[in-house]
Amino acid sequence: MADRITLEAPLDGAFGPVVRLIVGGISERADLGFEEMDDLQLAIERLHAEAGGSGRLTLAFELSSGHVTVRIGPLEEGGLADALQRPAVPGALTLARVLDTVVDSYGVEEATDGRLFIRIVKLVRG
Amino acid sequence: MRTPDPARTRAREVDRELLRRLHQEGDRSAREQLVKRHLQLVRSLARRYAGRGEALEDIEQVGAIGLLKAIDRFDVERDVSLSTYATPTVVGEIKRHFRDKGWAIRVPRALQELNAKMSTTIDRLTSRLGRSPNVAEIATELKTTPEEVLEALEVATAYTTLSLSSGPGGEDESDPLESLGHDDAEFERSEDRASLAPALGHLPTREQEILRMRFEEGLPQTQIADRVGLSQMHVSRLIRKALGTMRDELQ
Repeated sequence: MADRITLEAPLDGAFGPVVRLIVGGISERADLGFEEMDDLQLAIERLHAEAGGSGRLTLAFELSSGHVTVRIGPLEEGGLADALQRPAVPGALTLARVLDTVVDSYGVEEATDGRLFIRIVKLVRG
Repeated sequence: MRTPDPARTRAREVDRELLRRLHQEGDRSAREQLVKRHLQLVRSLARRYAGRGEALEDIEQVGAIGLLKAIDRFDVERDVSLSTYATPTVVGEIKRHFRDKGWAIRVPRALQELNAKMSTTIDRLTSRLGRSPNVAEIATELKTTPEEVLEALEVATAYTTLSLSSGPGGEDESDPLESLGHDDAEFERSEDRASLAPALGHLPTREQEILRMRFEEGLPQTQIADRVGLSQMHVSRLIRKALGTMRDELQ
């Protein structure tokens, strides 16, 4: 059975290091290597910075055998959610390109209440 | 009894006249003159906080914001010099800047020492294991706990990580994130925000090259570290710093 941890954090840069430390702790529990942990932290940092929305962000972590899944949101409609669903522009260093590099998969999901979340998955390579 | 220094007394009188003109007549040029007259104080206070991973010029800019606040809040009826009044405001603004950047002014010595060993330990373990070590392995190698390793890594990262929501953080400033995605014009702007490319050219060549290797070639940090002759941790920090700088450029 997967372990779940949910964190609600203010969309304030001052809390970035707090979030990063928690992601580090979760990565340690998931047995991610240093570089994989660093990748996951970078992905979440950038999404925390770009999410927009109401001033708070929920990060729901799920630790399963072999991978960590994080759902982050809610995202504002028409902003980051749309930008991430557009095809990558060749040669452009977009946030989508950063995510392509540092996580194994990502996608925008709609919750039952209509709010948008981004789901990212990082595999544990060991 | 000490004799008042005539030059200091004269400077204080000039300050008071400028403050009176600003607060009672709304003379903005008096404000500018006051800033110029006290920039040396800001520089002097900023120097105390140099060498903590932040450029001195940036600390001075933050201190100047504190000076402006002190000038604007100064009560001309009070019998206190502007420099005395402004000093705690300038220092407070600088300390708040460091706090907002997410790193403590004082890092415990034990964490500093652990942090100093971290980079070489990670590189040594990576070489020995043929893969990136996990936190538990780093902790075992350093004879400490995983929690302390994470804290020490955070110290290293925080020193170079830029604010997630840029701006000097004054109370009056709106969060740039709040204005996103409300109509078509905003939508286009948010698209621009998602593209980091325009700011790439403003980065130092080494950082551009590291970003290119990481996000175009898809090389892992360990390989980039080998190519550029830096530690993996240093590469990680430069990537963060470069992405943060580019984001700030776009805002």
